[in-house]
Amino acid sequence: MKYKELIDRLSEKTGHPKVKTREMLEDTVQVISEHLSQGKGVSVPDLGTFGTKVNTEKKVYNPHYEAFLMVPPKRTVEFNPSSKLKEEVKYLEQTDE
Amino acid sequence: MSEKITFKELVELIAKQSQQSQSSANSFIHELVQIIESGLKSSGSVSISGFGKFELRWMNERTGTHPQTGDEITIPGQNKVVFKPYKALREEVNVPFAGLKSRIIREEVDEAIPPASGTAENNGKNETIDDLIIERDNPHFVPPKKQTAETNGNKPVAAKLPDESKLAEEVQKSGNYKWAYAAAVMIALIAFILLFFMMQRDSDTAETPTTVQMEQVTPPIAEETTPADDPDPGIQTEFETQSFTVEPGQSLWTIAENQLGNPYLWPVLYNLNRDLLTNPNQLPAASELDVPSISDPENLNEFEREQVALGYFSLYEWNRENNPEEARYFLWAVGVFSPELLAQPPSEADPDDLAFARNR
Repeated sequence: MKYKELIDRLSEKTGHPKVKTREMLEDTVQVISEHLSQGKGVSVPDLGTFGTKVNTEKKVYNPHYEAFLMVPPKRTVEFNPSSKLKEEVKYLEQTDE
Repeated sequence: MSEKITFKELVELIAKQSQQSQSSANSFIHELVQIIESGLKSSGSVSISGFGKFELRWMNERTGTHPQTGDEITIPGQNKVVFKPYKALREEVNVPFAGLKSRIIREEVDEAIPPASGTAENNGKNETIDDLIIERDNPHFVPPKKQTAETNGNKPVAAKLPDESKLAEEVQKSGNYKWAYAAAVMIALIAFILLFFMMQRDSDTAETPTTVQMEQVTPPIAEETTPADDPDPGIQTEFETQSFTVEPGQSLWTIAENQLGNPYLWPVLYNLNRDLLTNPNQLPAASELDVPSISDPENLNEFEREQVALGYFSLYEWNRENNPEEARYFLWAVGVFSPELLAQPPSEADPDDLAFARNR
């Protein structure tokens, strides 16, 4: 589902105009992103928990350079779906778009 | 993730941000979650601009063990929800480590285990930098050294004599390591002839070191820790050394940079501390190094240049055994610091490497 479709459906459900729905969604995204960038987790009921984790520095072999590379540490976003969401989609027929 | 904010806090913040009532923010999020869920069910992916994309991923059937009984069980195929953050979010989250890039290390994995909390990794990196710079043949780095070599080349020959006998001892010792091979004996013979030739040139030099000290392993410089009381300041026969304790995270390169003033002089440290360092790329923390005092790192005197060149030569020998592909660059560095030493190598060198170093 594309972003536009998401907003269409959301504005239908909430009754807000599309522009306002888009703004609210943007605000939501901003609040969550801000917390994630501070290293804080955000849990959304029935959806799941967003969190961050730090991948430590590591050494990998790069076949192109035929040498080892030191890959710097990186902080990434983690998402753990809620058990409800997991169960809902678990045994769906495989959806190929 | 150390802290989590609750849903209530999230709703409050969103309500504040979008200037809505909390109840409408609350219902908004619930609707959003429901739409995401139905979107996943209907099309398998939901994309939120500036944030990320929720996707279903089909996990194939696989076998696993039951965590309690240890029996083998078949886990049926199932869908998993994955979230792929988009670039904006990835970058925002990675701010603490932004701007870091991967670096190439020229070091085998099995060599990377230091004896005692060492700095092998650091050393490996630095050596790579060293190699790269040398390989690039930087004109700013080479010519000044070569000029000083030529201008200083006219110094009285007598000043060089003690060093030449030292070279002879070096020949012996470095030869020691390789005499396991019968073929090497022949090459060593050539070295003897060369040595003999040097002796003839300067007949005033005392004892012939040809048969002496075959068993002695410690480098001669390490023994002579007392400073030389040479009346002539331009002529130096040995280094004044100071003891230096290695701290974790330091490498020969950084020590040379901080203590000697020029990181390219690090082979001197290696040569002076050969008894401690079996591998020039591994420096155990808390070892006591002898660190020489260099008068002017930009303008080395003849003795210092020769010692640096000797250091590069021992590195060449080490690398020839352990890292043959890059050994020749160390031989080339010998010539950068002392063309004389390259013209008369203190020990046998591979003819191909010599040709490479001389023609570079």
